[in-house]
Amino acid sequence: MLRADVEVDRRDFTVRAAIEVAAGERLALFGPSGAGKTTLLEAIAGLVQPRAGLIELADRTLTRTTAPRVLVPAWQRRVGLLRQDPGLFPHLSVRDNLAYARSADPRGTELAEVARALEIGELLDAMPARLSGGQQHRTALARLLLARFDALLLDEPYSGLDAVLRRTLTALVVRLVTERAVPSVLVAHELADAQSFADRMAVLDQGEILQVGEPDQVVLRPCSARVAELVGYLGFAPVPGRPGVLAGVHPERIAAGAAPERGLVLTGRVAGSRPAGAAWEADLLLPDSGQDGALSQQAVRGRDGRPGLAATVTCRLADRPGADGDTMTVTVLDPPCFSQDGDAVDGHVREGSRP
Amino acid sequence: MSWAASPAAAAGGAVREPPGQPGRRGRASAGPRAVRSVSGILSVVGALVIWLILLGPVITLFTHLSGSSIASSLTAPGALQPLVTSLESGGVTLAVLFFFCTPLAWMLARGTLPFPRIWEAGVLCSLLLPPLVIGLLLVFMVGPYTAFGGLIAHLNLSATNTFLALVIAEVYESAPYYVLGAQAAFASVDPRLEQQAALLGDRPRRVFRRVTLPLASPGLAMALAVAWARAMGAFGAVIVIAYHPYGLPLQIWTTLQETGLASALPFALVLLVVALPLPLAAYVWSARAQSRRRG
Repeated sequence: MLRADVEVDRRDFTVRAAIEVAAGERLALFGPSGAGKTTLLEAIAGLVQPRAGLIELADRTLTRTTAPRVLVPAWQRRVGLLRQDPGLFPHLSVRDNLAYARSADPRGTELAEVARALEIGELLDAMPARLSGGQQHRTALARLLLARFDALLLDEPYSGLDAVLRRTLTALVVRLVTERAVPSVLVAHELADAQSFADRMAVLDQGEILQVGEPDQVVLRPCSARVAELVGYLGFAPVPGRPGVLAGVHPERIAAGAAPERGLVLTGRVAGSRPAGAAWEADLLLPDSGQDGALSQQAVRGRDGRPGLAATVTCRLADRPGADGDTMTVTVLDPPCFSQDGDAVDGHVREGSRP
Repeated sequence: MSWAASPAAAAGGAVREPPGQPGRRGRASAGPRAVRSVSGILSVVGALVIWLILLGPVITLFTHLSGSSIASSLTAPGALQPLVTSLESGGVTLAVLFFFCTPLAWMLARGTLPFPRIWEAGVLCSLLLPPLVIGLLLVFMVGPYTAFGGLIAHLNLSATNTFLALVIAEVYESAPYYVLGAQAAFASVDPRLEQQAALLGDRPRRVFRRVTLPLASPGLAMALAVAWARAMGAFGAVIVIAYHPYGLPLQIWTTLQETGLASALPFALVLLVVALPLPLAAYVWSARAQSRRRG
């Protein structure tokens, strides 16, 4: 069990966050760049000192700022950290890198075993500069495994790699974390990375945790308009019959055609379309809504945590949309609803439609 | 002070390389490409001319030396004593620099000192002072009628015209070169590697020994080599505060004054032979260390 409840001062703001990760559990810290995710990891690793807080790992107290004060130095924490830069020692061979930790098995039987399991057994005598990116990351991972850590922290380690390699390595880490039953925390600013790794996700913004939950819950039912924006909702549309309530529109949660029993039906004109992956992305220009008077021709981004109304809605569609200017009707599938202040509102939007 | 930055640049650059593209390929193909066009040939010729002009003094030295003149100069009674003096004082100077200035360079590189700019300005200031001025000021600082002079007089020591004075003058002339070089060497070590070593269970002193020092050592060696060359050639401060005991530069100076150019030249060769091997060795060693890292 890893428990951290800390306040860390940064130049621009203070990170105030509390997380709890059980042994073998995988938590993803998701948020935009500069949200304080890495700061939180570094506080757990002992690389930065929190102004206030408590960090506990298994039955050890790593940091406590109230009496009796505790600050276990980084080299006694047994916390593994993987970053985007694998951090291999360039003057040591792969073998010496793997055996770097004092706690690594001196006889090398475990070393050979782990190296074989991570498919770097052939490279033990090579220098790190000779390895490919994937091999370097495997070596860094193997080095951590041999060092016997009690918690694993991952700071977007694979974000620079291609998709296939990223998936392979992520799957490898998931397997190893589960096998060793250590708590692990992944920092990600790509939603897909967070989802493919974690069984719980925390959304962090401006140093504060806005929501914690299962990845799909966070994405489908964001607790505020700000979280919705962070997880990919590109706009908000008023819900007919419920004044003051706005539905979040996620481009990937849209089906072509009117299906009022499945969600919010929107009708408008195609303002542009382009291929997106194997599907199509279309901009749907919504007509000025007379009754609400809130829709303008300009897309309004949410400010101060309040949802802004969108004049155009971006949708992902399996079929190619019509030409620009054509009328198109889509259904926003079971959208989350928010009040004008940006708080989530209960209830589903179904069987409602907008003219 | 760019020599010390190169090891990390080479190591760091290689990390981001795509697989199967060794770091040397780009550099190897640059040579032939430069020779292929007219402007390329012109630039190579230009570079060669500048290189030869820079090497001019060394070439001249060898064209003006004859075996007999070397032999007669070096076999004169007492001719080799200045060489011994220079080697001894240079060795002591290097030891002093290494033990006292390495920590300073490390702290400068890591920015652990308050007001880092002021510290750096101080080091730069001593670099910019003309050696002759350093010598003059040293007399007022450590001469016989100063507090320091009085203090060491109790130990029957003196800091004017002694071996101690020679070492002090050489330290002052070479220290800024070493500090700045060593600072660049330490700055080239990625602090994240040190963090990684700490997270793998090493306390700071072990991290320094196992990661920082090996990674900075090519740059440190170069800085020491430059400091050695400065110490061997130290003249300005030395002539003011340590005219005796003679080191090599002073021997060249007095020979020049007393018997003329021709008899001073062999000692210039001796000075070169003594001063150059360490920098060259350091250069070769750091180049080999870097190529070993490339695998």
